[in-house]
Amino acid sequence: MEEEKKKKKEICNIAKASTAENSSRSVSALQALSIHLICGLGLAIGLWVAHNLYSMNVVSDPSRTLRLIWIVESPIVTLLYSWFRLNPEQCSYLKAVGRGILALPVGALVTALGAIVLGAPVSIEYLPKTINWSLLMSSCMFVPAASVFGSSWSHWQRIFAYTKPNESLEYMICIPAHGAVIGAWLGAWPMPLDWERPWQEWPVCVTYGAMIGYLLAMVVSLGFVLVHGGRQHRKRD
Amino acid sequence: MTSTTTSFTKFTFFTVAALVFQITGLSLFVFGFFPVKPALSGVSGWESFFAPGCHSVENQSQTQMEMGLSPYELKSLYQDLSLIPPLFDRLILMVIDGLPAEFVLGKDGQPPRKDLMDAMPYTHSLLSSGMAIGYHAKAAPPTVTMPRLKAMVSGAIGGFLDVAFNFNTQALLDDNLLGQFLRIGWKMVMLGDETWLKLFPGLFVRHDGVSSFFVKDTVQVDKNVSRHLENELSRDDWNLLVLHYLGLDHVGHIGGRSSSLMGPKLLEMDEVVKMIHLSTIQTHDNDRGRTLLVVVSDHGMTESGNHGGSSYEETDSLALFIGLKNQVSISHYASATHNSILQVDIAPTLALLYGVPIPKNNVGVLISGTFDCLTDHQQLRALELNSWQLYRLVEAQLPGLSCGDFSCSGFIDDLGSGSGECSGSMEKILRCLFMNAANLHNSWKYKKETGFESREDYRSTVTAYHEFLKTASEWLSRRVTDKPVPLLAFGVVAMALSCLIFLGLITCMSREVYTGEKQHLSGSSNSKIRWCLDEAFILGVVLILVMSMGSSSMVEEEQYIWNFVISTLYLLLLRKAVQSHSGRSGSALFLKAQNKRSDFQLCAIFLLLISGRILRGWHQGGVNWTHLPDISKWLEQAGSNLIRSIQLTSGLLMMGLGLFALFLFVTNTKLVRVVALFFLISGFLVLWHIMEYQDNEFVSSDYHATLLAQIIYATLGVGTIGFVVALPWLMPIQISSTYSKHKINSSTLVSVDIQYKFPLLEFRDSSYLIGLAYMLCWCLLQLLLQQPINSMPIFLLLMQIFTSMLYYSSSGPQNKEWLEVALLYYVGMAGHFALGNSNTLATIDVAGAFIGLSSHSTLLSGILMFIITYTSPMLVLLSMVMYISVKDTSYLAIPQSVDLEQFLKMMLGFPCLVPLGLNSILLTAYTVVLLLMRNHLFVWSVFSPKYLYVCTTTVCIYIGVFVVAATEIYIYMVIAFRSKIQVSISNGIL
Repeated sequence: MEEEKKKKKEICNIAKASTAENSSRSVSALQALSIHLICGLGLAIGLWVAHNLYSMNVVSDPSRTLRLIWIVESPIVTLLYSWFRLNPEQCSYLKAVGRGILALPVGALVTALGAIVLGAPVSIEYLPKTINWSLLMSSCMFVPAASVFGSSWSHWQRIFAYTKPNESLEYMICIPAHGAVIGAWLGAWPMPLDWERPWQEWPVCVTYGAMIGYLLAMVVSLGFVLVHGGRQHRKRD
Repeated sequence: MTSTTTSFTKFTFFTVAALVFQITGLSLFVFGFFPVKPALSGVSGWESFFAPGCHSVENQSQTQMEMGLSPYELKSLYQDLSLIPPLFDRLILMVIDGLPAEFVLGKDGQPPRKDLMDAMPYTHSLLSSGMAIGYHAKAAPPTVTMPRLKAMVSGAIGGFLDVAFNFNTQALLDDNLLGQFLRIGWKMVMLGDETWLKLFPGLFVRHDGVSSFFVKDTVQVDKNVSRHLENELSRDDWNLLVLHYLGLDHVGHIGGRSSSLMGPKLLEMDEVVKMIHLSTIQTHDNDRGRTLLVVVSDHGMTESGNHGGSSYEETDSLALFIGLKNQVSISHYASATHNSILQVDIAPTLALLYGVPIPKNNVGVLISGTFDCLTDHQQLRALELNSWQLYRLVEAQLPGLSCGDFSCSGFIDDLGSGSGECSGSMEKILRCLFMNAANLHNSWKYKKETGFESREDYRSTVTAYHEFLKTASEWLSRRVTDKPVPLLAFGVVAMALSCLIFLGLITCMSREVYTGEKQHLSGSSNSKIRWCLDEAFILGVVLILVMSMGSSSMVEEEQYIWNFVISTLYLLLLRKAVQSHSGRSGSALFLKAQNKRSDFQLCAIFLLLISGRILRGWHQGGVNWTHLPDISKWLEQAGSNLIRSIQLTSGLLMMGLGLFALFLFVTNTKLVRVVALFFLISGFLVLWHIMEYQDNEFVSSDYHATLLAQIIYATLGVGTIGFVVALPWLMPIQISSTYSKHKINSSTLVSVDIQYKFPLLEFRDSSYLIGLAYMLCWCLLQLLLQQPINSMPIFLLLMQIFTSMLYYSSSGPQNKEWLEVALLYYVGMAGHFALGNSNTLATIDVAGAFIGLSSHSTLLSGILMFIITYTSPMLVLLSMVMYISVKDTSYLAIPQSVDLEQFLKMMLGFPCLVPLGLNSILLTAYTVVLLLMRNHLFVWSVFSPKYLYVCTTTVCIYIGVFVVAATEIYIYMVIAFRSKIQVSISNGIL
């Protein structure tokens, strides 16, 4: 067992070294904080604008509110994360932005399919809600990863299939994405209850769950970045 | 070596012991928890006209008094004692099975729909002219015919297990109205549902029973009742005429509330009402006496025409009193239609109207609107009699109540103390309310004698009586009779013990297996950590289920949980499949093979996810959201041609899939051809039956259809048993090392050593073929029995299971065996709901349970109903036979120490133990939940039906596991025997 662990550590170290070679700019704790703050603020602004300027919210008009939020959130996320793209020398900033924009509908398709498979209604009246919800989910989950990693399969696999991020930036992408998914999954539980509240409708409570999960996960990811950054500094010393 | 063999025996011993514990515990609990008998035995006699607690009166044996009296003397004795002159001499009780009161009286203050109004013109004219009063009579669940009839005639809410006896009706021995009528010498006639004859054998002087057996017959069943009507109405030798029309219920079962047959059926009922009413008006002046016509329904129906549950649509039954010839101002239409009562209130009302004692276990309260033509004195007397009866019933359940002493003469001195507030324990409250009413009544009587009575006093007395009656009635009907605590405790403990044994066995087994595995695959046990997430989730699912059982709406909507959980599990497996996929197509051969495998797994999981979603959308199950659109409703709207073509398509697809699965198996083509031929023949027989007979709603019972169905049963049954018995003997055994490779099990890990000791491959092949034969025969049977709309879900389920098998066969040691078995079990439960089942009794498909039966048989139709309801769990359990053959478990065994008994244990262990273990957890947990919820409002409507389902699932699991274990052991023994012989022969030759 001990040997195995050692082996694994070695493998990890090799992987780290290899990623460090072609790596992006490193992310300091302060940068991480500000990125998360801005992303969180993006959500808040979206909600605030919807509430105060258009006087609607997720319950009363889910489709339009969600559209507003993803329209606010996705450019913020794309522009921010593209700055930290992989291989900045070979890949221009604009290309990274383009990847993010491309990932938005593709990721939305994946999330929408996932939601439908898990039981989201498929009738026509729910279609705009599902589309806007999945676009929002996509801009929280897939757009950052696409902007940073592009089409690097090994990165995608490590982040989303293994959930094994191993540097600050990967923590910042991986943990909020998982937080949003888990939050949305948990948010679906009150739906079958017979309380007859308007927020039990698809996709209202799922959206709330996803947002709460996303925000909490950003806090957690910040913690990981701090711990991880400290460790890295010590290693360098 | 010996330790492993004893361990196999030990395993079997422990499993059987756990099963015995579980069965004992379950039966103890069921008999302890569900009340079977009401409180009081015996029959109300003349003592019911005296106040309770008068020992001087009650001590005298009533039989002594009454045995000597002739019915007429008894009748006049009752009349003298009751002080209420009977208002009517004859009663016509017209029961319209399944008629919702909404059809006649409307809902929420609104009159019924226009077309329904038009369908019953005469009844509505009676209602609007004040000749009739209608009530929404709320029926208690379970809303099926026999318990409801019992409630109407005895006023008692029966035990829950009455449902179980609904198909085995037995004589009603408790005190009831009909018995009371018989005692005063009434002659009774019954026309209609033969349930009455079973409830009251030998009671009717004339009868013509019709059977509710042919559910698809909506015309003849009512004609058989109405044909005697004219004759009976012209006769004067009966006092009670019971008419029970079944047609409307059958219309509902076939086409739901909005069936096109509903209007004509209501019109027919209206004609009957008109005919009876006109004839009773005519005969009114003769000396035949006054006749009251009471039109009641036993229960309502849901939108789709089913019943059994406790929704408003099902419990909203009708009580319509025609011929009270009123009297007072019921001119207002609304006041004649929007009263609501309980169904049990009919019994005391009729008893008081006809001057017989109220049945002993009645919990109903008289319907005040029907006594309006009596004098104040008589009305109070009626209330008093009802209160005395209820007080006696309460007294029997609360012994502390009887210590009160009020004088038998009925006069109490302190007249003023009638209006105190009542509080404290239930005993005190009831006693106080009763005393209040009695005191007020006495003071009213006193004042009346002295000439000072006022309207105010009268009204407050009536209010006081009603308050007592209402409180007592509610308390009695909600009261769950005292539970025998030791019995329940012992039951729960036994079930918990068996649950622990199962869990212990599973942990023991998995520890044994996976330590072996680790030794065997010490190089690459890296996978262990990776697979933790879905294992944890599968255990978490059990926890989620147990927790969700405590919430009534989660119990009602259980299908959401299963679907959600299974899709999540598949997504987790998808994630695992992606993990082993290595991006670009590597040049290395190993990498290519791995990528190919994970591509295959990805496809399989996608197929599973999509078919699972379609299954989920097929029936909008549950209770609260049944009105939402789903595929089955959409198809039903699209018309029966489309449904039939879908049915045929899914039949053909099913056969195609079966043949494909058969020819995946290549070691012996001759045997496969025999199986395929048999399978095709029976498949086409089923399709023929569908083409010819399934669509004819109006054919009551076709002899040929029944015969064909019986032929199909025989073919499938004989074929399956024949295969199971013959296949292990016919499977050729090759001892040489050049055996042809199994196409699915292309594992290189099968050691030649085991192969030499035991022909593993032949064992696998036999299991595979037999498992396939089981599944295909089961699905064909379901194609015949299930509703046409369910044929596609059955195909999808079969496809899901095949896909899972393919996926599992490719996964090898990647997935742990218990995880896969548990996942299959979950799929079975989700499929159960996808076929339109729910946790209410209303969704049980009764119509299918009579296919192919030529005479009524409770046992056979019960078995068919079980087969229909438990299609999916049973299919999954049968697929375990196939699973054992496809799952490559040979890596589990360490070649040196392999032992044949050990091998059997490895093969059978998880597929049998995991379903039993999961089920025992759910059963035990739900038993505890039921105990905790015993005072919940929904205990009888939500939790108890669910418990019945849980119990039946347990039975289903027992049967399935037994079949799996028996089949595998049989195959093993035959093959081992044959290989031994073959080896000895070849040795002899050598």
